[in-house]
Formats: sequence, structure tokens, C-alpha cells
Amino acid sequence: MDSLKANEILDLKGVPCPQNSARTLLKLTGMDNGEILEVIVDDGEPIENVPSSLEDEGYKIIKRIQTSDSQWHLFVKVE
Amino acid sequence: MEIYLDNIATTKIDSLVLKAMMPYFDNLYGNASSIHKQGIKASAAIEKARAIIANKINAEPDEIYFNSGGTEGNNFVISGLVKNHTKSKKHFIISNIEHPSVFEVAKYYEADGIDVTYISVNKDGIINPDDIKKAIKKETIFVSVMHVNNEIGTIQPIYEIGKICKEKGVFFHSDICQSFTKTEINVKKQNIDFATLNSHKIHGPKGVGAIYIRKGINIPPVFYGGGQENSLRPGTYNTPGIVGFGKAVEISNENDIVNISNLRDYFIEKIFNSIDDVLLNGINGNNRVCNNINLIFKNVEGKKIFTELNKQNIFISTGSACSSTILKPSRIIKALGHVDKIAHGAIRIGISKWTTKEELDIVIENLIEIVKKERSKIN
Repeated sequence: MDSLKANEILDLKGVPCPQNSARTLLKLTGMDNGEILEVIVDDGEPIENVPSSLEDEGYKIIKRIQTSDSQWHLFVKVE
Repeated sequence: MEIYLDNIATTKIDSLVLKAMMPYFDNLYGNASSIHKQGIKASAAIEKARAIIANKINAEPDEIYFNSGGTEGNNFVISGLVKNHTKSKKHFIISNIEHPSVFEVAKYYEADGIDVTYISVNKDGIINPDDIKKAIKKETIFVSVMHVNNEIGTIQPIYEIGKICKEKGVFFHSDICQSFTKTEINVKKQNIDFATLNSHKIHGPKGVGAIYIRKGINIPPVFYGGGQENSLRPGTYNTPGIVGFGKAVEISNENDIVNISNLRDYFIEKIFNSIDDVLLNGINGNNRVCNNINLIFKNVEGKKIFTELNKQNIFISTGSACSSTILKPSRIIKALGHVDKIAHGAIRIGISKWTTKEELDIVIENLIEIVKKERSKIN
């Protein structure tokens, strides 16, 4: 995924809202400062809801890429 | 003073568990399926619990599906497997000492035309895995054998049974409600395809449990109408219950198991040294779950012992909890080869992490008196 290298990848294809946000937040709490999590989410409600719920909790989405009609990759930095 | 020794029927909730649950009754009461901040927080708590439970049995979090407990779990797995296979396969295998939530389901499907094989246990309550091997045929859908029996506490050789099922290409389901957190469960190593778990046997809340389903296996839901648990078990999440279940697993530890085992052995040894003509149902030693004691005092009715101890505020059980109002000898005790008269004598004592040696000494003193008095009536 370009030059951005994630420390961990969380595949949430097919995981509904808000379980996808919940699992991302849980994963992020176990990561260290400065680390990057790559999250794969579905198009539609997930890509609308997951980034905003992460930002609500103070996480920064440093990049989002649509890799197909149905899929997005989010890069979240732990700060 | 009350002495509660019915910890196989259910356990007292741990204060740490209750504390972990409280916010989800109070400030964080939002529906865990809602996408607002409250919902996400509730959902995150559920996912945390799921990860803890999965880790305890070496499963993946998305192989855990929450439900209402053991009875639902057993019904769900068996019904789902039968529904999925009746066109091509019409046979399954269970042991003859399964919990009623497996045994009665088997009886129901048997009456409906499904072929069921009931595998007998030996005098110690243990299954011979070779008997399972011999019973598997090309029509066999699955084998269901509980890890630990709820009346006699025997630990079944599920590693060997799982291996046989894998070799023969049939599914293996195990009801692990009595063994979960008390003896090692590793679904990968033990080749378990489905497992039934619950919370209230391990100082968690009642009304919550889970099933483990190995990734890649599809079975149909029992309920329809919602997307929760991958649509396999729809219904509004019991967030406080699930959080409590996770906490109960998180705080379970090996030290408690060692202490409980030591108390169990202390009690059994002291009873055998104090009272003649006593039988221990189930096996003695490492193949018995830590918290279970099941005894028969010859020529003394189990119900009589129960009643006399109850008067003294000492709470035990005769037979299994689910059938303690039915005055029939236990099916499980009879499966060990005992005739009705002997089987009527069985009492079950369940120890917990809070049981003390002093409490057990009081129970032993009472038992000595009760047995002496009852036997004197015969002589």
C-alpha cells in the first residue's frame, strides 16, 4: 500500500457496524505510540462510520484508499 | 451460617465480575448494535470479552458466538447439524451420560427418525474412545461427548475422541460447561469443531454463554430476525452479561484450581476414613474435575442426607440440579452400573474457590451423624 507500512493489519471485511469500530478500537488500545494500524473495511456504512468513530476517540486516520468497489484500507496512527 | 456446596449447579458471582458489569447496566446501557458512541463502547466491551474467552480455549475471537447459556448452546449445535445433514446423513453419536440438553435433544431426533448411538461408560464413568470409533458409520454426522460430566465429574478423553472424529471425517461437539477454566481446553489440539460454554458455573452471571464453532463450518441459526453474532444468534446483546462472562474467565486462575482440588481430596479422604461403606462415583484423582465429589453412603437415601443437611443450612444436591425435584434415580449414576436402590443414595458436593476446610469439616461431622442415625434405624 504505497510507502506507508503498517505495523498490524486488521481485516474487517463483512464485519458489521458497530462491531467493526469496536474491534478497531480494541486493537488500537493494544498498540504502541507511533505504530500504524491498517484496517480493511467494507464500502457503504462501514467506511462512513468507522473513521468517524475512531476520530471521536482521538485517533488520526492518516490515509484512506479505496482498493475496489467494495473495499477500503484505512491507516490509523496511534499517538 | 450457610455452607453452599452446590457449586456445580451454579456459583456465586465474583465481586470483580459484578463490578465490571455495573457500568453496562448504568451509564453505558446503549444497545451494542447501535452505531452511536454508546453503542460502540458497549460493542467494544463485548469484543474484549469475546477475545478473552477465545484465548482461553485457543480459538479465534470470530469463532465465539454469544448466547444464553449451555442448554441453548447444546440445542443449537445438535439441531443445526441435524438440519444441515438429514438428506444425506441420518446418524449421530452421544455418550449415555450427557447433560439433558444433549440427551433429550437426541431422544427428540430419534423419535423423529434419526439414528442415534448411545455410548456407554465404564464403572468410573469414562468412555472408551474405541467404542466411538466402532460406532462411526458413513451416515454419521457428528459425535457429542461432554468434557466433564455434571454429576460425577469425570474428565473424558476428548483428545482421543477428537482425533478419531477428525480421522473419520465427522464433526466433534463437546459440552465444556463443567470443565471450562477448570481443566485445559485447546480446541485446535483437541480437534473440537463445536463447544458449548457458559458463564454461571465460573462465578459469572447467569443467562449468558457461548458456543465455539470452528471457522469454515456452517450451521443454520435457530432464531431469525437480526444480524447479531453473524446472524447466527440474533437478538439484542446482553452486554452486562457478556462483559461479566469475559471478566469471570479473565480472573480464573490455576491457583484456585489447585486449592479446590486439594479440598476435594481432603474431603474424600476424610469421609473414607470416618464412615464405612462409602462409594465414590466417578474416578478418583487427576481424571476428576477439581470441584466435584459424588458419594453413595450404603443404606442411606441421598434425599434424606440432602434434607438433613438442608436443615443445617448446608446446601448440596442429589442427582443433577435440573432433576432434583424428580424422585427418580439418577440416569448418570445408573450408567455406572448401580441398581436403583444404590443409585438413590447419591449425593453431589460442589466446591468453589471460597470453600474452606473448616466448612468441609462441619459437613463431614454432620454426615457422620446423619449416616450413623439412618443406619441405626435399619439395624
